[in-house]
Amino acid sequence: MDIVVAIKHIPSIADDLPVKGNNVDFDSVDFVLNEFDEQSIEQAVLVKEAVDGTVTVIGVDLIGELDNILHLALAKGADKAIKITADDPAASSHQQAKWLSDAIKSLSPDIVFAGVQASNDLDGQIGPMIAAYLDMPYIGGVSSVEISDHTATINKEFSGGFGAKYAVSLPMVVGVQAASKPPRYAPISKVRQIAQTATIEKIAPSGDASAGLAFKKMAAPVATGHAEMLTGSSKEVAAKIVELLKSKGLA
Amino acid sequence: MLTSIEKIIFILLALTSAGFTIHGFKTIIDSVRKGRSAPELKNVPGSLIKAGITVLFQRTILKARKILSVIHMGLFFGLITYAFVNLFDALEGLVPGFTLTYGGAHLAYVPTGLVNAFNLISDLMSGALLIAITVFLVRRFFVKDKALTFRDNVLLNDKVKAGAQSRDSLIVDVFVIMHVSAHLMAQAFRLDQGADPFMPIASFLNSIFGASQIGLHVAWWISIGWVMFIIPYLSRSKHTHFFIAPVNLGLAKQNPRGQLDPAIPLKVPNGNHYDPGAKIITDLSWKRILDSYACVQCNRCQDVCPANFYGRPLSPSALEVNKRYLLKEATFGSHPDRLLLPLTEAVISPEAVWSCTTCYACVRVCPVGNEPMADIVDIRRRMIVDGAELDSGVQNALQSLATNGNWMSKGKRLRGRWAKEMEFSIKNATEEPVEHLWFVGDTASFDERVVPNTKMVARIFNHAGLDFGIMYQNESNAGNDVRRVGEEGLFEQLVEQNMQAFGKAQFQRIVTTDPHSFNTLKNEYPQFGGKFEVKHYTVTLLKLFEEGKLTIKKELSHYKVTFHDPCYLGRYNGGFTAPRKLLELVGVEFDEMPRNCENSFCCGAGGGQIWMGKVAPGERPAENRIKEALTTFEKNPSDKKQLFIVTCPKDMIMYSDAVKTTSNESKIEVRDIIQLIAEAVGVEEPVLTQAVTSPA
Repeated sequence: MDIVVAIKHIPSIADDLPVKGNNVDFDSVDFVLNEFDEQSIEQAVLVKEAVDGTVTVIGVDLIGELDNILHLALAKGADKAIKITADDPAASSHQQAKWLSDAIKSLSPDIVFAGVQASNDLDGQIGPMIAAYLDMPYIGGVSSVEISDHTATINKEFSGGFGAKYAVSLPMVVGVQAASKPPRYAPISKVRQIAQTATIEKIAPSGDASAGLAFKKMAAPVATGHAEMLTGSSKEVAAKIVELLKSKGLA
Repeated sequence: MLTSIEKIIFILLALTSAGFTIHGFKTIIDSVRKGRSAPELKNVPGSLIKAGITVLFQRTILKARKILSVIHMGLFFGLITYAFVNLFDALEGLVPGFTLTYGGAHLAYVPTGLVNAFNLISDLMSGALLIAITVFLVRRFFVKDKALTFRDNVLLNDKVKAGAQSRDSLIVDVFVIMHVSAHLMAQAFRLDQGADPFMPIASFLNSIFGASQIGLHVAWWISIGWVMFIIPYLSRSKHTHFFIAPVNLGLAKQNPRGQLDPAIPLKVPNGNHYDPGAKIITDLSWKRILDSYACVQCNRCQDVCPANFYGRPLSPSALEVNKRYLLKEATFGSHPDRLLLPLTEAVISPEAVWSCTTCYACVRVCPVGNEPMADIVDIRRRMIVDGAELDSGVQNALQSLATNGNWMSKGKRLRGRWAKEMEFSIKNATEEPVEHLWFVGDTASFDERVVPNTKMVARIFNHAGLDFGIMYQNESNAGNDVRRVGEEGLFEQLVEQNMQAFGKAQFQRIVTTDPHSFNTLKNEYPQFGGKFEVKHYTVTLLKLFEEGKLTIKKELSHYKVTFHDPCYLGRYNGGFTAPRKLLELVGVEFDEMPRNCENSFCCGAGGGQIWMGKVAPGERPAENRIKEALTTFEKNPSDKKQLFIVTCPKDMIMYSDAVKTTSNESKIEVRDIIQLIAEAVGVEEPVLTQAVTSPA
């Protein structure tokens, strides 16, 4: 079973997000692994542990710092790591999907995992676009994957607490919302050991995507109002809340 | 005195007994040697002599349970005396005409005074022993002191659950009573010329039972015969304590309290591969295997354990007891394979492993120099390397520490944001030389409940003209709690990051507001080449007062305060006096809580507990501490405003919460000592001229 995980390196939102021109000021921001990709790596490793196979993690190296992320993935149980050396922090999701799928095609995978979305890609483009490029079926919002006889049994989550179970013939692309178990912790000693010994395969970016989105403007949201903090002792605060509810006709 | 046949029987018995005893101690030594190497000890004979003196004066047990400790002294001195008593009893049996009664009148070359003195001491000590052992017997079996039991949720060896400890105690208690009584009776039967004034108890018994040769033989055999059985038994029971405790104390940790043993010993035998930490008992250092033989299972450590108080399934003494029984089953019993049982199955439950706050109270109070806390850290170390499932909060904290250098999932660049908000600029120590490099730490840098205090420290330093700077985004978490959670690799990574930052900076000393950072910077960074002078801010502040750079403008006699010693400042590093002197300087009324200084009670945040996602039910240690403070204040009531003073950012959070959850906001307020100093010195927060609005 050849399992591929496509990951995304994205600007960290733990920091203030600085803006420069029409985009994020990439020079003054840290890059982190998309948190949904953490789930998709875990799901891929869980599948591998269940059915035997190899997990290849692949990502676009936007700022020359992807190695750390790939080492972490290897420490969590991935077998092979590939980076596409783009060196373009502004590469769009569409462009990344093109590069990733060109590279993934040559791996002829049985299943491809991707995070369902990323904080710089809330409409979840990467997974479906890879599926389109590879001409494979796609299911997103996935919360568990089991594989037997070249068929994936997949749980997908819908809003309102609904879920659906699919049986899909492989190959396919899965957009992972959450792994069936919380992502494991990779001890740093192991990550550091891997960093010294592991080899990461490098691939040159393949070519431009035919279409995509362009930024027109980027700006911080305008504050339209702000929360009022009620101060005083707990009794005073409670009284104010009751008054407020009454004034709104709610009590 | 003995007939020839009796002598032959005695010698055969003595040889058999010696054989079993040697086998017993050899088995113990073999099991201890299975452990990994321990940090090298310096001047072992010297420490053993020092330990011998400590034991002789029974200094270490007096740290807790004062009355029982005095009774323990009766037992201790009684048994020491009895080593000689038994020797002379044996000689009286074997050497014709040898008797010490009536001042050893028949014996040439022995001063009568000396014999009389010995007779008096052994006679009185016999009484003391009988009283002491009876008290312990009554305490365990009739009063059923709860301190000798374990919580139901604590993992216990099956034999212990079935009462093996009590049986052990009963056997030895009954032995001592019979042995001592028989010896006294033998002495009484020996007094064929009436009372001996130097043997008052024996003389009293003689006045009732008279002298008797047959009685003497029977009593002698009961007294000495018993010894032949009991000595080999001791080596197979928890009473190895008698022999191992003084040795263990002499071999106890010499490194600073705040320096953990390495995860893999510095010395690894050729051809061996060691994984970090401990999975099975022989992964522990030999010294910590020896710990379990020194432990007599008094549970003093359990009494002071904040996790145990909180109802968590952790008992440091149960850990030692379980180690002891595991070793016994594997080495004396027929289950050598049990040595391979994971410690988390045989010795301590995983939940208990993750309950420890690493407050060091258990190690501090242990009279015999045991380190159960160090075992727990070693077990954590291996669990992390083996990929055990972690509490989600701990995992998030560790992941954030690995990527952001702080546990709060904040960007590195935000670390110095508080400094940029100040009304004056604070030097970047990595860019220009400073005298004091202020290591701020995560909580004081990021937590909005603590940041106002951090800013006040900066104002006071600035006011006093202290030359200081911070490292802004170059500072990473110091790693104290990361190491104690068992993530040794991440700890090393953080140390490297900070060492790189220190390398960029020019400074004379480090000052820190965080006791946890203080501990690891002071005690553990030197092992990584970071040899710095490190001061806690209370010491720096006191010096500023002494140098006249800070002066009191207003005495704060309108406050009544108590002070909580943070574990990592106080118990670990002895920083007791500076905070108290500062409180004296600012002129507050100061009430000391019963648990103070070395015996301070942990707030419950250390060792990674503050990261835990799951919160257990029950009264938390911090809540109990707030109640202790209020009870202390009640003893000496007044109308003054009551304050709970802290000198640790984590304490600020833990105790502010605890005051709220115990609904005591009207009675007590938690403040950092810097707030008192600011008020006394007359440094205030600048008044904001315009309201700050933040985006919704």
